[in-house]
Amino acid sequence: MRSFWTIFRFSSWRLRWTILGWGIPLMLLGLITTPFYDLVAENERQLRPVIQGLKPLVKSFIGGEQAEEIFTPQGFLALRYFAFLPVILGIFASVAGSGMLATDEERGILDFLLAHPAGRASVFFGRMAATICSLVAILLLAWVGLWLGVLRAGSLHFPPGQILLPYISVLAVSTFFLALSLALSMMMPSRVTAAMTTGFIVLAGEILTNLAKAISQLQPAAQFSPLTYFQANAMRGLHIQPVLGLLAIALFLTGLAWLGFQRRDIRVAGDGGWKLPFLGWRKGGN
Amino acid sequence: MSEDSPSIIRVKNLTKSYGGFEALRGIDFEVQRGEVFGFLGPNGAGKTTAIRCMLDLIRPSSGSLLVAGHDPQRDPVAVRALCGYLPGELRLDENITVSNALSFFRQLRGGTTACHRRADVLSERLELDTTSKIKNLSKGNKQKIGIVSAFMHEPELLLLDEPTSGLDPLVQKTVMELVAEVQQEGATVFFSSHVLSEVQAVAGRVAIIRGGRIVEVSETSELSARGTVEVRVCFDGPVVFEKDQLAAFPGVKLITSDLAGRFMEFSVRGSMDGLVKCLAAYPVATLETRQCGLEEVFHAHYGKEQEKATNSPFQ
Repeated sequence: MRSFWTIFRFSSWRLRWTILGWGIPLMLLGLITTPFYDLVAENERQLRPVIQGLKPLVKSFIGGEQAEEIFTPQGFLALRYFAFLPVILGIFASVAGSGMLATDEERGILDFLLAHPAGRASVFFGRMAATICSLVAILLLAWVGLWLGVLRAGSLHFPPGQILLPYISVLAVSTFFLALSLALSMMMPSRVTAAMTTGFIVLAGEILTNLAKAISQLQPAAQFSPLTYFQANAMRGLHIQPVLGLLAIALFLTGLAWLGFQRRDIRVAGDGGWKLPFLGWRKGGN
Repeated sequence: MSEDSPSIIRVKNLTKSYGGFEALRGIDFEVQRGEVFGFLGPNGAGKTTAIRCMLDLIRPSSGSLLVAGHDPQRDPVAVRALCGYLPGELRLDENITVSNALSFFRQLRGGTTACHRRADVLSERLELDTTSKIKNLSKGNKQKIGIVSAFMHEPELLLLDEPTSGLDPLVQKTVMELVAEVQQEGATVFFSSHVLSEVQAVAGRVAIIRGGRIVEVSETSELSARGTVEVRVCFDGPVVFEKDQLAAFPGVKLITSDLAGRFMEFSVRGSMDGLVKCLAAYPVATLETRQCGLEEVFHAHYGKEQEKATNSPFQ
């Protein structure tokens, strides 16, 4: 347990610049976005016909049937701010999850670390905890930025707790991508491959989820996109089942990654081979 | 094997395969407590693979391995707690300072005051600048961090994998001194290297590994004695040396001599007595001897296999 805390503290300390690097821009995004609501509300009469006149396919990318919600305070924040967060943080999760262990393994750092009296469980869960905490810290910075923005905006009146609700949904989606990326990094030959695959799933999921709003045939496929379960509108009330569902899958993927890490031969450096569960985790070179 | 057993490392029929490549092919050896055990072999022979199995960084394909009575796969933390490990090419997080890195490693080892104090003493002895960022250090200075980390907790067992690579001669000397010191204090040292002279200098026993197999385990002195001694003699004036004079001493051979008869080189297997007595009749200016026993045995084992075994990616 002692080594878990040592790993956790050290990993959190290593992530401090990452937290600031992602958190401050998101904080600024919240601050910058909110004043635009007043502008949108003032120009509702001109903007509404424009939105109504858009073709369904185009409209699907600005909220689909809910596109006109932009003229309500909650709808504005959902469509112009929260809708982007899962993609932005999905990219963060792709990089952070794949890099949690694989980067240090490829750089040869993990080899020397694991020669110290720290079990693989301490390293894995200590780093996982630090990475999730960094994700929470980034979201907290983003929340502070949005809250300050709401305080500044004349026509947005929300308590801080209500603004926090969509962040819980963002956290669930991001944790899912974090776990996916981590699991892939334990199976794929390199960290970059795992990050790129997860990044592709994030972007493809975003496109699929949006297109499914306009093309009904895509709706069955969209059920498999994690972003379908994201609740940008959670300020009106958060549904806990999708959140728990995403977290449960993330837990399963983390378990898969842990299994892979536990059985793994730690590389001295460089890329490895494929390690797939159905091949006994051991295809290709080490 | 209990924790009080005379053997601190016991390896039995250990194999490790990577796909179709067999890095270890059933190796057996034991290392006694308190000894410096040399593990000799060229690149790709399986030295690093064996050490990494001991630390549970990689899992053996078959066979058994006990370190101080612990199975590294079942109780890796216990094994690592009593070991100090120094890899040949140390890689560290480049963006932190030396003191941050050492502090982290100290904390993983319990963060005791004694450990802290010894780390400071070692850093000073090795002239390691602890305020620098690791990315600004040379390879040799990075290796010094590994040396401090390996020795700071006064480990029961030191696993040194080509520990002097990248170090300048002065630091190499310090490392060899440290090895001798910890052995005097009762620690066991597993010294893997392909540099024959350093193994010969510190190890009491040596195992020679070739292509994943142990080809010989023996006392270093016994291996050395099995080889020859090269003797180079310079005379004060021209000397006419009759080869027949050496006939009575079967272990002595004249290898080369210059035309002027001022320089000669002999090889001696066994006793030097005969040669010394022969030379006593001549005006000897200088006499140099070079023990090439271990080297000779090593090359005898490697002669044909060396090329096959090198350049494996699994070291």
